[in-house]
Amino acid sequence: MKRLKRIAIGLLPGLVLLAFWEWASGRLIREIYVSRPSAIAVRLYELFATGEIIPHLVVTLQELVLGYIVGVLSGVIVGYWLGRSPRVAAVIEPYVMAFYGIPKIALAPLFIIWFGIGIGSKIALAGIMVFFLTFYNVYTGVRNVDREYANLALIMGAKERQLTRHVYLPAAAPFVLLGMRMAIPYSVIGVIVGEFASSTRGLGLFINQASSTYDPAGVFAGIVILLGFILVANFAAAWAERRLLRWRPQAATPNADI
Amino acid sequence: MAAPEIAFENVSHSFATPTGPMPVIDDVSFEVPKGTFTAVIGPSGCGKSTLLQMLAGLLRPSKGRVRQGGRDITAVNSTIGFIPQQSLLFPWYTLAQNVGLPLVFKNVPAAERAERVARILADVGLDGFGDHYPHQLSGGMQKRGSIARTLVYRPDVILMDEPFGALDAQTRMIMQDDLQGLVAAQGATVILVTHDITEAVLLADEVVVLGRRPARIIARVPIDLARPRNVFEPFAVPGFDDAYASVWQKFRAEVLS
Repeated sequence: MKRLKRIAIGLLPGLVLLAFWEWASGRLIREIYVSRPSAIAVRLYELFATGEIIPHLVVTLQELVLGYIVGVLSGVIVGYWLGRSPRVAAVIEPYVMAFYGIPKIALAPLFIIWFGIGIGSKIALAGIMVFFLTFYNVYTGVRNVDREYANLALIMGAKERQLTRHVYLPAAAPFVLLGMRMAIPYSVIGVIVGEFASSTRGLGLFINQASSTYDPAGVFAGIVILLGFILVANFAAAWAERRLLRWRPQAATPNADI
Repeated sequence: MAAPEIAFENVSHSFATPTGPMPVIDDVSFEVPKGTFTAVIGPSGCGKSTLLQMLAGLLRPSKGRVRQGGRDITAVNSTIGFIPQQSLLFPWYTLAQNVGLPLVFKNVPAAERAERVARILADVGLDGFGDHYPHQLSGGMQKRGSIARTLVYRPDVILMDEPFGALDAQTRMIMQDDLQGLVAAQGATVILVTHDITEAVLLADEVVVLGRRPARIIARVPIDLARPRNVFEPFAVPGFDDAYASVWQKFRAEVLS
């Protein structure tokens, strides 16, 4: 009951916003600019009922998942390696930071030349945005691991691989997971921008086409689907964090007495 | 007398600082016979811990040699056990996982590991806390866990760096008493670094007194008190007064002035 009440309170602002939108559309603002929630719902239903959206959805989902995996994996590997090799890092870090400063969106035309207008260029674009975020968090996390933990593990007989598995990775896990969570919306940005730039299929293309044919309900329908992706991904990330970081003290946990 | 297990031979050490090398240890030599308990005592910041770091192989002396069992220590020394000042239990593992970790590193099979962990946890009085994470334990319990994690793999040599410094007075006495029994049962060679004279006298067979930085040996005082010693009432231990006084006499010039 309490939980139900909490959910109801949480939904309230959203419902108010939707109601206001529905009411204001055509009254305060012309519907051609903002569409209206009921029209978007109908449009969404049509898109799925006719299956029109499915090919776009499948392509975008593929690009998102692959781009995210490529970015996270390379970010974790490079971040871990540089975090453990301070001397190499001292040389390379300024270069990485310089590349970090480039607006990745500006790379979209280049990636289309390199990887074509298929899913390759979108994976690359999402991948590179995800890479930098993950890399930076993992790098910082590994560098901040207390040296005393590592020394103690060495004295207890840890080999290099065991040091990674039992000390560095768990110690850096909060940073890694934070980076992975922050990277979710960036992978969506990468993919959609790539699809805007040039593509034959995908939600980005669908939104772009809806916009150029003055179909605001279609644009919003595409955005709603993207929002769904992000919500599901965030939910999964939060769940993973809760599971993997069970060991972290919660404010409410009292200390046992001797 | 038994062969020395540990030997410091003319050990000197300097740390590099922006203003040039800063000497912290100056020509220190002493041995620790196998199976004995040596306390190293000195004013704070005198470089006591540096000696332990050398034994652990985390630090190479600028001059001289540090030997164990007749061999120079040239790499990280995983034959010893190290009980640090902070408990340093890994926060991402439960108590039982923490205590079992050295056995994982040493490839002890899971069944034997579980059995040894359970036994040592019972020995240090942490029965039933194996599934707790470190942050759910009190400071004293974390310290017990840290000691269990070392004793579980039965190292021949145990180094302790002010292990009880962060505990309250009562907990400290209880821990000293337990430690006395546990270490005696394992027959390990122990070096304890402390700045507490009472602790040094009550636990050790010999007290090595270091001076202010750069640390030199001021005196080596053998402590000939019968064991087990009553750590709760040190002044009721026969001979404690004299032993305490002889250490304090050497030490006072370094602390006062």
